[in-house]
Amino acid sequence: MTDYQQTYWEHIEEGSLWLQYCSHCQRYVFYPRRHCPYCPRENLEWRQTSGQGRVHSYTLVRVSALPEFKDLVPYIYALVDLVEGIRIPTNIIECAVDQVRVDMPVTLATIKREGRALPVFKPFQKQN
Amino acid sequence: MFRPEHSVILGIGELKPSLDVKGQISLDLLARAAVLAIQDAGLDKGDIDGLLVCPPSEDSYFLWPSQVAEYLQLSPTFMNMVELGGASAAGCIARASLMVAAGLCRYCLCLSGGIWDPQVFNTREGKTAVMSQAEIDYELPYGPMGFNSGYAMIARRHMHEYGTTAEQLAKIAVDQRTNALANPDALFNRQPLSIQQVLDSPIVVDPLHLLEIVRPCSGAAAVIVGNKGPHRAPAHTPVILRGFGEAYTHNSIAYAPSLTTSAIKAAGERAFRMAQLTVKDIDLVSLYDCYTITVLISLEDLGFCHKGEGGRFVERTDLTYKGNLPCNTHGGQLSFGQPSFAGGMSHVIEAVRQLRGEAGQRQVSNNRRALVNGNGGTMSTQCCLILERG
Repeated sequence: MTDYQQTYWEHIEEGSLWLQYCSHCQRYVFYPRRHCPYCPRENLEWRQTSGQGRVHSYTLVRVSALPEFKDLVPYIYALVDLVEGIRIPTNIIECAVDQVRVDMPVTLATIKREGRALPVFKPFQKQN
Repeated sequence: MFRPEHSVILGIGELKPSLDVKGQISLDLLARAAVLAIQDAGLDKGDIDGLLVCPPSEDSYFLWPSQVAEYLQLSPTFMNMVELGGASAAGCIARASLMVAAGLCRYCLCLSGGIWDPQVFNTREGKTAVMSQAEIDYELPYGPMGFNSGYAMIARRHMHEYGTTAEQLAKIAVDQRTNALANPDALFNRQPLSIQQVLDSPIVVDPLHLLEIVRPCSGAAAVIVGNKGPHRAPAHTPVILRGFGEAYTHNSIAYAPSLTTSAIKAAGERAFRMAQLTVKDIDLVSLYDCYTITVLISLEDLGFCHKGEGGRFVERTDLTYKGNLPCNTHGGQLSFGQPSFAGGMSHVIEAVRQLRGEAGQRQVSNNRRALVNGNGGTMSTQCCLILERG
């Protein structure tokens, strides 16, 4: 595992989503990598994200060919747009499959899957 | 200066798509298609001095052009593998024209196809074999269903932004089935299809129904590109490459600039500029159809209708060979079949047949110019060709 992959997953284990940020471009970068893809300098800094976003699009997986997902169906596979301007592939949890909507506000959660923490999103409610 | 119209398609060869090719390997199929194309062009195997191959589906990629050349005992002066996913086949034609124009070869054989293993995507190994490291690290843990989930999210977003309906998408599969009924080589050419039947087919990855999703199969296709000029046996009307254009924006759909406007727009604009033509000059289209939504977005991005109007456009437009915008007259990959990873050569070959006037029962009456699009990945790689009857 590279140092930047390790940093990403370490923060996830602690329950927060940190992303790389290029101070020259003033842009967040996802997925983690050695170079800013825009300028393309090295030495990106790490910043904690708000964990807030909206569902850009989604699909419902009703039959999974992957054995480890067979018991999880139906589940929501989605792209979430973070307020930091990053689009991230994820699952939407704590949401019935007929309740998910495009543009729905969501907030970060982490789950354990195959022995490690994974960033996912759940519907945003004001008491959050 | 490079002039694309100096390149012509001289020969085509295509095997009937099949779900059962036991006892054969990919090279067997490719060689048969190559022989058909060489005969069609009125050439001898010894005339072939350029080779472009699409990646095989199950065999080792390693030195694949060399494997193909050795099997066929070709000694090309220039060869390569073109790996643009579903845009590979169209990409071969564009690159062959450059090779011929540069004098690197006289006759370039472009080959696509192979054996399809239906189990290839049903295992973790099969899935990761076609994934980037970023997809393995940041997508696979969430259980995506390969390309299906990417195109499903494109369709969902298009429905959200523009009100596109499942019925409108289904119409594309229905019209292409009508085309396939007139194609003896198509995999699905016995039963017509109704919009209701598409909607009643199982939702594989919401909102995509089974009958909106490409049918992988085994097969092979070959095209020979050469210089315009006197040829030994002009058995067929030559087809001229008037222009091509390509564009690339992302690998995974997660990093696409837009889910609903694709790089087909830029690729199409580049092709039209090279050809000095516009969308009004096009009589028929061969649009890469891995899913119905792909065709709908292609029609919008190429300018056959405005962005967002694709649903209403396909609803009121007859896309069959009898209609005013014939689209995928061979049945498309949805009904003809998608031979191996890169089925896109079938789109090129069908356009050539139509322009030559050799499409038989499904021959269109206006057949001067065709636009062919190849699309790879999840709307990731785009190659547009504009072909003209010589």
